[in-house]
Amino acid sequence: MRLVSIALVACTALIGGCGGPETSQANNSSANISNDSRDVNQASANLEARVSLGDAAKIMHTRHEGMETIGKDFKALHREFDSPAPNLALVRTAAGQIAGLSRQASGWFPEGTGPEVGKTGAKPEIWQPQNATDFSAKLRNFQIAAAAFNAVTTRGDVNAMKARYADLAGTCKACHDKYRTDMHH
Amino acid sequence: MKQPVWDLPVRLVHWLLAGLIAFSWWSVHNHHTDWHIWSGCSILTLLIFRVLWGFVGSSTARFSSFVRGPRTVLAYLRGHWNGIGHTPLGALSVLALFAAVAVQVSLGLISEDEDGIFTGPLSSLVSIDTSDKARDIHELWFNVVLGLIVLHVAAILFYRFRGRRLTKPMITGRAALEPGTQPMRPGKWWVALICLAVSIGVVRWIVAGAPPFGHWTPPS
Repeated sequence: MRLVSIALVACTALIGGCGGPETSQANNSSANISNDSRDVNQASANLEARVSLGDAAKIMHTRHEGMETIGKDFKALHREFDSPAPNLALVRTAAGQIAGLSRQASGWFPEGTGPEVGKTGAKPEIWQPQNATDFSAKLRNFQIAAAAFNAVTTRGDVNAMKARYADLAGTCKACHDKYRTDMHH
Repeated sequence: MKQPVWDLPVRLVHWLLAGLIAFSWWSVHNHHTDWHIWSGCSILTLLIFRVLWGFVGSSTARFSSFVRGPRTVLAYLRGHWNGIGHTPLGALSVLALFAAVAVQVSLGLISEDEDGIFTGPLSSLVSIDTSDKARDIHELWFNVVLGLIVLHVAAILFYRFRGRRLTKPMITGRAALEPGTQPMRPGKWWVALICLAVSIGVVRWIVAGAPPFGHWTPPS
């Protein structure tokens, strides 16, 4: 476990620090993320220590609300991008909110916040040791894609926004397909 | 001597519909929502085609030949009926199945998934809340479709035990008729092609997000 978290921290530092071969737009987004690499490191530390039941309830509530907000933003964005004239102010607000929540998501999955302690769509596989690297990588991909999408919305190129939005959707789906149950709420 | 009772379009629609309903169920439960949406669009194409063929197709395909009032249904139940194609009672089952599938497809057209990643082709015509509600009902309504399918299969088994095989004619299109029964009058192949072109055209139009249907970006 310690080895894994050291590797994670190293990866985080690597991803945050390097941006060489990427485009300027990607540089921009990795810069945004490196400010928050502290949160991500914190999350890998959290994976080791089980949280108390009270804390678990709080975190699961925050996680649920956060995911719901991201979902609502995503639905609103889908409609804007389907429309012939997207409302860019709305797009930017939603993109900013998703990027902000994606950074907070680093703290949403400490061990002890799975289905064994309460109602959640999070599968127990998230906390199986063999999935630790994969889950962290998927969360990280989501954060990078959310920051890249947020960055591209500051400019006026709607097609570029749609492309980053599709990338972002892919990172949501990749994680949900593997680590979320089909829940009804 | 076996004679024609079901034409090729009717049989194709029947088996494609059965296959696509199964595929729709499988794909949406295995994280292939994009395939699920295309499957639904294909089912819509079949439904439109079948409705058109129900007016201009072969004699056993036409609604006018099998949609009958309650008196004929009762007479059939008492054993007073002699003909080919859908029985008066079977016709009710056919209509119920088609109506249930039509409702299911309509709900799917305006639905969106839980995450807002996938939307139905006409979802932009309704609000986000309506799309979410439509998805919930779409999920529940599948049980209605499933119930009618179970009834349909149960009826086929019931007739099978009474000595009538209904599945084979739906595959080969032919059955042994009692003497004096009018065989099927076939439709024209080029009329079937026109119906197919119209149904594909309408669905293509919806998928393209062309007005008046609103705008839609198909899942990539």
